[in-house]
Amino acid sequence: MRNLYVFLRKHYFILVFLLLETVSLVLFFNFNEFQDTAIYNISSTLTGIINTTFRNISEYFSLRKTNQTLVEEMAKLHSRLPDAYYKSDAYSFYRNDTVYQLQYRYISAKVISNSTNKRNNFLMISKGSLQGVKNHMGVIIGNRIVGQVVSVSPHFSWIMSMLNKDSKISGKFKKNNQLVNVEWLGGNYRNGIVKEIPKHVEIRKNDTIITSGNSDIFPEGILIGTISDFTVSPDENFNYGVVQFSTDFNSLGYVEVVVDLMRKEKEDIKASFKSQ
Amino acid sequence: MTTSKVVLYNVLRFFVLILLQVLILNNIYLGGLINPYFYIYFILLLPYETPGGLLLVLSFLLGAGIDIFTNTLGLNISACLAMAFARPHIIRWISSGPDSLIGDSPSLKNQGLKWFLYYSISLILIHHGVLFYLETFRFTEFFTTFFRMVLSGAFTLLLVLISEYLLYPRDN
Repeated sequence: MRNLYVFLRKHYFILVFLLLETVSLVLFFNFNEFQDTAIYNISSTLTGIINTTFRNISEYFSLRKTNQTLVEEMAKLHSRLPDAYYKSDAYSFYRNDTVYQLQYRYISAKVISNSTNKRNNFLMISKGSLQGVKNHMGVIIGNRIVGQVVSVSPHFSWIMSMLNKDSKISGKFKKNNQLVNVEWLGGNYRNGIVKEIPKHVEIRKNDTIITSGNSDIFPEGILIGTISDFTVSPDENFNYGVVQFSTDFNSLGYVEVVVDLMRKEKEDIKASFKSQ
Repeated sequence: MTTSKVVLYNVLRFFVLILLQVLILNNIYLGGLINPYFYIYFILLLPYETPGGLLLVLSFLLGAGIDIFTNTLGLNISACLAMAFARPHIIRWISSGPDSLIGDSPSLKNQGLKWFLYYSISLILIHHGVLFYLETFRFTEFFTTFFRMVLSGAFTLLLVLISEYLLYPRDN
């Protein structure tokens, strides 16, 4: 017993280090499970409040730009008001699909924290589960892609931005509907890449890539970006392109969360097939 | 300085550096590569006499403070702990003996530029190394990550040196 005490006393620094480091690594690799806990809700509400306060101050510095974006959005919405959009309340907009059955609802939200300089970037927005935001919903700005919801607390949501190593968006060429996956490899926040473009697809500069609608997260036709560069290699089976994102991720002020009202139906039909 | 004054300064520094990091420095964007992690200045400046256990616990809390804001729980904690663990060893290696340490805590003014550079560069590299490689966690991006780590580290070092010169100016 005495020897144990002496041993602990002698090596306590490295023992405490190993203990704490293990705790932190377990936390790091199990982070998604941690996000469901109550303590996470409390801490995210606290950081949300601090971030909101700071954002409220720093917002004054970008008022001109925010105004400009809002005016542009207003003009766009107004021009589509008669057939596609109508305003139901201060916070949300509805859009009918082609057979006039309501499918998508949009919840507008303020961005209260954002980053573009990490390998894995996230945004926090000012709407949460109380306003109807749920996990795995898509987030857009205007008609351009932003990311998807990965975690929700009552008043805030945490968005995995397109600029993340885990973000892989199913897109397609607008001109011929060829499916591709768009990823971001770090570095410049304006450019993503499309790997594995089949050989027979002819690529040109300024080809538009839009969402495919296959993933249940984004509606079809949301702008991802345009091809700014590409390589055609004779040996491999696939070509490779650089996409310039349509979204300027570094100047997001307000975003919209896409609520797919038919999502449950889509999931149910898949589940019923699996259970057969 | 009296003990209570030292404690007060360090507590203040703890909160100021966390807020500075999450509200301002995390929004710095330079070429998509550089992101300074200046908050570790807190660990650099802790007194020599800080007990080992306290050093580790404080680093844990510091990392947790940053992680809660950036939703990367565990990432900054791991990096800070590695740095705190290395700190006493680094100090022992680069100093000629306990008598050569002047004052309560490490500073450019007391220890001279060469000592302080060795001290801060090695600790910054340990911290940034753990942080960037844990964040990326992919061998295919080894060199990109290395490049980002070195650039961000240089920026962090620059901020540390600027603060040393501004906050604790030399007498002469």
